[in-house]
Amino acid sequence: MALTQVSSNKCAGGFQKVFEHDSTELKCKMKFAIYLPPKAETDKCPVLYWLSGLTCTEQNFITKAGSQLAAAEHGIIIVAPDTSPRGCNIEGEDESWDFGTGAGFYVNATQDPWKTNYRMYSYVTEELPKLINANFSTDPDRMSISGHSMGGHGALICALKNPGKYKVTSCRVCVRPHLRPVRLGGGSPSAYDATVLAASYSGPQLDILIDQGRDDQFLSASQLLPDNLIAVCSEKKIPVVFRLQPGYDHSYFFIYSFINDHIKHHAKYLNA
Amino acid sequence: MMTPLQIYKVKVKETHCTVTDLLHNAQYELWVTATNTTGISPASEKALYMTVPSPPAIKQRECSSCPEAALIRWESGNTNPVDSYIVELSETGTVGAESNITESIVAVPTCQCLIQLQAGRQYLISVRAVNIGGPSDRSDAITISTTGTFFYLLEDTAHPCLSMSEDGFTIFYGDEELPITAMAFEDNTFTRCVAILGDLIPVRGRHYWEVEVDDETEFRVGVAYEDTERDGYLGANGSSWCMRHIRTPSRHKYEFLHNGWSPDLRITVHPVRIGVALDYDRGTLSFFNANLEQHLHTFHCRFHNYVHPCFSLDNPGALTVHNGIQAPDYTFI
Repeated sequence: MALTQVSSNKCAGGFQKVFEHDSTELKCKMKFAIYLPPKAETDKCPVLYWLSGLTCTEQNFITKAGSQLAAAEHGIIIVAPDTSPRGCNIEGEDESWDFGTGAGFYVNATQDPWKTNYRMYSYVTEELPKLINANFSTDPDRMSISGHSMGGHGALICALKNPGKYKVTSCRVCVRPHLRPVRLGGGSPSAYDATVLAASYSGPQLDILIDQGRDDQFLSASQLLPDNLIAVCSEKKIPVVFRLQPGYDHSYFFIYSFINDHIKHHAKYLNA
Repeated sequence: MMTPLQIYKVKVKETHCTVTDLLHNAQYELWVTATNTTGISPASEKALYMTVPSPPAIKQRECSSCPEAALIRWESGNTNPVDSYIVELSETGTVGAESNITESIVAVPTCQCLIQLQAGRQYLISVRAVNIGGPSDRSDAITISTTGTFFYLLEDTAHPCLSMSEDGFTIFYGDEELPITAMAFEDNTFTRCVAILGDLIPVRGRHYWEVEVDDETEFRVGVAYEDTERDGYLGANGSSWCMRHIRTPSRHKYEFLHNGWSPDLRITVHPVRIGVALDYDRGTLSFFNANLEQHLHTFHCRFHNYVHPCFSLDNPGALTVHNGIQAPDYTFI
């Protein structure tokens, strides 16, 4: 599990770093970004996993979201993985923006030719935490997960499929399970559908915060279906606060505007 | 100056006399005459004597407290004015420690006093009235606990349709229609919104209380300035902020209102115990589902005056205020 440091920048009193490693799940080299707050120099810190959306790499979140100040204030390590395996030379992987490269959907593919490399679900929930806990000053019992768009949905499914693993989850915008994951063959569509998972969830209480831009073009195009998720969570008494933010769109400007609220939401549990 | 109402005479054979059963807070003139078989002598010089005042009576339901201070109010206990008051306090001891510090605050000019205290302690507070004759006996003491913020509800602000439990912390909006004669509105009562204010929170810093409701009750809880419109609805104006619960046949709806505007949000688990956290210094008012430790919403507002907690019922039902509680850690991250 050797890590190679790709970059390191001092930021908000701590360090924003990027590392590269050979992934056993994805069978390729993977990069991830990690923010180490000042507190990590002396203490073990809790970890927030951030999952980015379609077309992103590990760079978008750390350069556009403005998360480092709040992470430093609350003493939280933030890990932001890439959004798919890269350079696997699978036919068709670069054809669409919403499928293949940069679009791993945080599922484990079951169909050829994707199933060897496209195992982002296991990467995020198993391999990456083990790697992070072995190499950084972390408290392995305190982790939580958050994300945007495809990553928001990914955060929900990781939390719902792993009761008790993540202390809390939040997301900005959760894309409904696209047809795409069916092509990747992530088992039946419902295996990675947050709404279906919520309906059958039984585990420790969650506390979910969801922000949705009202002017998000994906919302108006019915690509996001928050009402279904809210209805199921109301039925199953899964605590959710869902906020519709007027004037905000799908972009990182939206993420930046509410990242402090989300980090505070996570800090409440991670630092309890 | 006082007009002498009555002249009392006491006949003695000695050259001294003890005069008893004097009224409190009254000025007396005393003089002596000598009598023999021939007659009565001229009066001696008059001695003036002021009796001490009656002890005041602390108004329990008008006292409030928070972790760092207590506001004590009392009745003078004397018909005529006194010069000033002395407030005395002693600590009844924190957990484990035995201490009895006594402190006196003198020259208090009016019948109320805001006293600085320390958090997490318990105090006994009493008051004396003072005139030139000296201090009165101590009033009956009141126990003040500086755990959390504690206040009573102001009955004189209550809409006529509201009734209150005996302990003063549960309000009811009954089903029955009140006769018009019972709908007597005083100057200070709410006339449209079936609302009531809590006592003013006149101390900077952080304050926390909880409100217990049930599944069906439509309510508004929050804070308001003292001069909030009594003919307005909580949250509909610029002088109040509140969380509102609306019950429809199919679901619960929530609004966080100020100036009639609310953000658009959905909450999936109905809170039956709402934590309200007020931070004057940061200018925030936050609401929580206290049972789940779930944050619901925060208003950001620069309060230009102290505020009152406020409560209203929008349909028949009840709500109970719980206060004097230490604020949980998560409420002021």
